[in-house]
Amino acid sequence: MNQKDIFKYDDKIVRNFAIATAVWGVVAMLVGVYVAFELVFPSLNVLPELTFGRLRPLHTNAAIFAFVGNGIFAGTYYSLQRLLKARMWSNFLSSFNFWGWQAIIVAAAISLPLGLTSSHEYAELEWPIDIAIALVWIAFGVNMFGTLIKRREQHLYVAIWFYIATCVTVTVLHVVRSLEIPVSIMDSIPVFAGVQDALVQWWYGHNAVAFFLTTPYLGLMYYFLPKAAKRPVYSYKLSIIHFWGLIFIYIWAGPHHLLYTSLPDWAQSLGTVFSLMLIAPSWGGMLNGLLTLRGAWDRVRTDPILKFFVVAVSAYGMSTLEGPLLAIKSINAISHYTDWTVAHVHVGTLGWNGMLTFGMLYWLIPRLYSTKLHSVKLANAHFWIATLGTVFYVVPMYWAGWTQSMMWKAFTPEGFLKYGNFLETVTQIIPMYAIRGIGGTIYLLGAILMIYNLYMTAKGHRVEDKEVAYPPREKHIKEKGEYWHKWIERKPIQMLLLATVLVLIGGIIEILPMVFIDKNVPKIASVQPYTPLELEGRDIYIREGCNNCHSQMIRPFRSETERYGDFSKSGEFVNDFPHLWGSKRTGPDLHRLGGKYPDSWHYNHMIDPTSMSPGSIMPAYDWLAKDDLDTKYTAAKIRVMQTLGVPYEHGYADIALDDLSAQAQVIVENLAADGIDQENLAQKEIVALIAYLQRLGVDARPK
Amino acid sequence: MYKYILDVAGGINWMALFALMTFLFVFVTSIILVFRKNNDHINHMASLPLEEDQN
Ligand code: HEC
Repeated sequence: MNQKDIFKYDDKIVRNFAIATAVWGVVAMLVGVYVAFELVFPSLNVLPELTFGRLRPLHTNAAIFAFVGNGIFAGTYYSLQRLLKARMWSNFLSSFNFWGWQAIIVAAAISLPLGLTSSHEYAELEWPIDIAIALVWIAFGVNMFGTLIKRREQHLYVAIWFYIATCVTVTVLHVVRSLEIPVSIMDSIPVFAGVQDALVQWWYGHNAVAFFLTTPYLGLMYYFLPKAAKRPVYSYKLSIIHFWGLIFIYIWAGPHHLLYTSLPDWAQSLGTVFSLMLIAPSWGGMLNGLLTLRGAWDRVRTDPILKFFVVAVSAYGMSTLEGPLLAIKSINAISHYTDWTVAHVHVGTLGWNGMLTFGMLYWLIPRLYSTKLHSVKLANAHFWIATLGTVFYVVPMYWAGWTQSMMWKAFTPEGFLKYGNFLETVTQIIPMYAIRGIGGTIYLLGAILMIYNLYMTAKGHRVEDKEVAYPPREKHIKEKGEYWHKWIERKPIQMLLLATVLVLIGGIIEILPMVFIDKNVPKIASVQPYTPLELEGRDIYIREGCNNCHSQMIRPFRSETERYGDFSKSGEFVNDFPHLWGSKRTGPDLHRLGGKYPDSWHYNHMIDPTSMSPGSIMPAYDWLAKDDLDTKYTAAKIRVMQTLGVPYEHGYADIALDDLSAQAQVIVENLAADGIDQENLAQKEIVALIAYLQRLGVDARPK
Repeated sequence: MYKYILDVAGGINWMALFALMTFLFVFVTSIILVFRKNNDHINHMASLPLEEDQN
């Protein structure tokens, strides 16, 4: 018999992450509920910092990176140590991972409401925070690999494969999406523009769902589900195919977020085909999870943890069936830009991520604190509350999405839009928004109940790092005919390289041609760079997060060209650093807004939307008429854009501010002609915003 | 140079083809490898998460 090593697992770090996920989860849901009710009661947009456009990114970032992110770390740190029979490699890196991640979350919670954003969905954080994320994430990876190298178990269980793939892919995604040139300490310009920026965005955005919300949680599923069910996974073979199929296909599916946009057709088709193929591995994984419970269904009836897991895995199955269906062009034509998408992602986050996290916490906390769960009854109650909350959330959203889409597309027999006023299609679904808000509140209350239950469980107990004894890893003796797959299974580095190659293939083939082949983005001669004033107006648009409610991408449907004007062409966006296509139309598309209204309409509408559009749920932006425009960085922005290829004349940055004042003066005169007088109006932010809004889509509008 | 190569590649069809081929390769290899594994090994792997902490 071998000598055994005696050592301790690091359970305190698991506890820290577990507490963080519970607490940030509640914060994320709270912000979510608040923004949900802002759409019902626009008066909740009380402060600039609390307006929908700024808070919605905070909600999504908190849900993804704070709630799920800490959940990933908690579950990974627990299961990795046990599966490898080794303590985490470096205590320092573990704490650095924990405190660094929490600091990033706090930085996000401060900077996003302040309007410091890159505008890229789920990558809104500005460049200094991006760098911090990269450092902390890599620390996690190094710590994981250190542990893998000094492990005592020869073979790597499939959950670990998922962790490894997650680790490398998230690094690649994050770095590429964050390629940006700083303009100031909290402002930057991305290196990609227009269509390219959009493609990189949804390659990233889709894979944030894939490799942050899905693969790590699948790893957790493959560990905690067998643990809680007390039986091995239904088919280990299936789990291997699930793994390779999933990571390979997922990376290609991003363009399904851009169907019917100006993205070239070949890229759109790739997105659709790969999305449909995704059904196979996803459902393989789901069935594998559910079938693990075969013969344990009697326990599912009494054990809340198993109940949470069953609903989580079912929700995974539902969203991975719905996702590919939404990637079919004809369905996407209906669903895109509506609340249908919002319903879809919440089946994923509330159902899959939420329920799996809750189940995991109910399993983990009593074990960490060496005690029993305070109340199984309350946990059961939480399960029903969470399920009810999810239903009350998603059903009205499906309804709203469908209803609104049908209204957008309805024509009268004479051939006119039946609901020519966009606002009509909004007021119709406000009752649905109200019910959704209630659904979210129910779900939030459930989470608070869980915190109480877990707090009572932990009270009076302490987490001690558990002491264990295992023999060191045996020297591997090569078996005949077993070479290749065992080679991968035993060697984490090879696994890492193979996963990286697979993931990179997809990224490179999809993105590089868009970046390098000019003919993918046909030039339009009349498209000119933005003027300095418009550029500043555009940055206000970004700061306020208008793109969270407004798209700038008209699809080639009659229902859209009638309503908004000629459909959008890729060549129109070559100077858009970043692109602002948006993904949701809570308000109308703005791509051809320029010239639609006089300047004075915008002035009044921005200060109080209901003055021009009674019943509007758009926030009032009255501070734009009070605050002076900051032009300190105008020249710097223009210089950065020049290096990125925007054709400003040589030396233009030096005289940009003269042009800016001149253009502001013209707008002020227009406003004065309509009876709007205000002291120092030319210096106010609102003038820059109006300049930008009036420029939208005019360069390439057919005469 | 790469620009030129990508340009003359004409339609992007070869990319779709390449994607499909690599996918088939990955998929088929993983299936073959999985089914060549012996069951003792698979059972050992599957039972890894069920081990309780020993001391
Ligand atoms: C909460 C979602 C929301 C946000 C955030 C939002 N809007 Fe709106 N917006 C709407 C809605 C709804 C309408 C339609 C009703 C109306 O005209 O007010 C609208 C209408 C508009 C219109 C009129 C479009 C037309 O063709 O009639 C403009 C212009 C506009 N918004 C600009 C902005 C700008 C600029 C911002 C950011 C500073 C912004 N919106 C932020 C929801 C929003």
